[in-house]
Amino acid sequence: MTLDTRIQLQDVSKSYRLGKSEISIFDSLNLDIPAGDFLAIMGPSGSGKSTILNLIGGIDRITSGQVTVGQLRIDNLSEAKLSRWRAQQVGFVFQFYNLLPMLTAAQNVELPLLLTAHSRRERMERVNTILDIVGLDTRGKHLPSELSGGQQQRVGIARAIAMDPQILLCDEPTGDLDRKSAEEILDILKILNTEMGKTIIMVTHDPSATTYARRTLHLDKGQFVRKELEHMA
Amino acid sequence: MNLLRQCVAVTNANLRSVRRRFWISFSLVLSVALVTMILLGFLAMANGFNKALTQVGAEDIAIVLSSGARSELGSRITPPHLHLLEEAPGIARDANGAAFTSPELIVPVDVIGKSDQLPAAVSLRGVGLRGVAVRPLVKLSEGRMFAQGANELIIGKRLAQDYEGLELGKTILFGKSKWKVVGFFDADGSVFESELLADAKVVQTLFNRPNLTQVLRVKLAGPDGFAQLASYIEANPRLPVTVRSERQYFASQSQRVSQIILWLGWPLALTMALGAIIGALTTMYSSVSDRLIEIATVRAIGFSRTSAFIGTWIEALLLTLIGCGVGTLAALLLLDGWAASTVGADNTQIAFELQLSLSMIINAVAVSLLVGAVGGGLPAFRATRVPLRLAMTGRS
Repeated sequence: MTLDTRIQLQDVSKSYRLGKSEISIFDSLNLDIPAGDFLAIMGPSGSGKSTILNLIGGIDRITSGQVTVGQLRIDNLSEAKLSRWRAQQVGFVFQFYNLLPMLTAAQNVELPLLLTAHSRRERMERVNTILDIVGLDTRGKHLPSELSGGQQQRVGIARAIAMDPQILLCDEPTGDLDRKSAEEILDILKILNTEMGKTIIMVTHDPSATTYARRTLHLDKGQFVRKELEHMA
Repeated sequence: MNLLRQCVAVTNANLRSVRRRFWISFSLVLSVALVTMILLGFLAMANGFNKALTQVGAEDIAIVLSSGARSELGSRITPPHLHLLEEAPGIARDANGAAFTSPELIVPVDVIGKSDQLPAAVSLRGVGLRGVAVRPLVKLSEGRMFAQGANELIIGKRLAQDYEGLELGKTILFGKSKWKVVGFFDADGSVFESELLADAKVVQTLFNRPNLTQVLRVKLAGPDGFAQLASYIEANPRLPVTVRSERQYFASQSQRVSQIILWLGWPLALTMALGAIIGALTTMYSSVSDRLIEIATVRAIGFSRTSAFIGTWIEALLLTLIGCGVGTLAALLLLDGWAASTVGADNTQIAFELQLSLSMIINAVAVSLLVGAVGGGLPAFRATRVPLRLAMTGRS
């Protein structure tokens, strides 16, 4: 069952202050992402793709407008509430994996589970299950430096889904990988979307990666300029 | 519970990453170790000096000086006053009624240090017939007692160890007078061991100090002895002298020097601690900079600001505590029991041992925690302000 995780950005503006000048990333942006969607966002560097992920994931604040996930407005949540919401509802997959290098693969996947009341045994069971899903059941004790790029990204995905969030935010998840590894990662994301009902928003520069998404939006200078709908059957 | 787990996880990750910052972390440990060692060194010095003078001070021995004199060197008791004091109540007496008193004088004499070959002044003390009887700690360890009327002396064990020529059977020259070393004594490592003892009358004669008595040392009769003697002196206006128990006297003598040691030691240690705080700030800012992406990532995952703060803070506190441990261990191995000497109130050498105690180590731990808390606090606060969007843009 897909929970109500419809994501809506309404009249959202975002600007950054750089010295005395203010740089506008986008102005009055609207976006509606239904629950269970797999949305790819493309666009040139600096177009605001990652900023959209940051705003939806609550790791950056909007300048004006509102961001709603399900029935919850997240743009006016306190820092602490936003942290708790993020821990439960959002998984992040980063371009450079962002694994903690001194922790093993299993320990990296366990990290978000430390935010729950699960016992160590329950956490370990969950970690093993997830590592199995991403095909790394025999690599749990390895340090990130002992894994290939593709394997590290799988650990990154495992960590992102450890808390079973409904939303996965992927920032260039294949940007640092060779073609074969990239395809394996995209296959996993596709399965998470189609079989587990996760809502996935993926920022990418790679046109072939968009074929795994249900639809693609092109962003340029803070505006969606082109839409491509329904890649997947 | 949840927060505790977060803190443990972040701290664990931080500590495991210390290897990446080994040298800067090592420099912090080293600077705190130095601060600890210097602080403990000064505290142990003050403590050792204090103990050398006060712990041996007995309550049943009294020291009589002339009024207004702060130490033996500035005191002078005339023969008529000595006679009056011999008759005073409160003084222990033998079966024949003779008082257990020792009229004494000190003459500074020069000896040569074994380690530095430099001259140093030590006390040659002329004592009365009962000079050893009023010093219960003094025990002849080698040789024999000096003979009355002879230019012979016995030497404190510590002096014999530290200075040249003070050997059994040898004759030594002080000014124009020759003295034969006939015995060694020990006195439980106390200040008495820093002196040479000889017959007072011979000292007066050979150093041209006829009838000079600077101090009268008295063995008191029972617990009321001191009060009786003090009342007698107070009630007798012909006696321009003051009396203190040996313990009170040594305490007053040691207070000034130990205070000087502490006044020098604490500011120096605190100044160095300030340097260590700056070192801790640098180290921990470097730690935070090194882990920016990691901090942003765990915060993006849902870890709280508090866990980021505590994780960084604990790293600083642990590093400084390790430094404190190293400094304490070094102080225990290198300084504890180390023999030192200084110039006492009579302008002569007083030998003592540096002595560490638990309370000093607690002080050192407190200073280290201060270094860690302040030096780690600001970087820890910075860790809580790391922009989370760095997780999206940086390579860990």
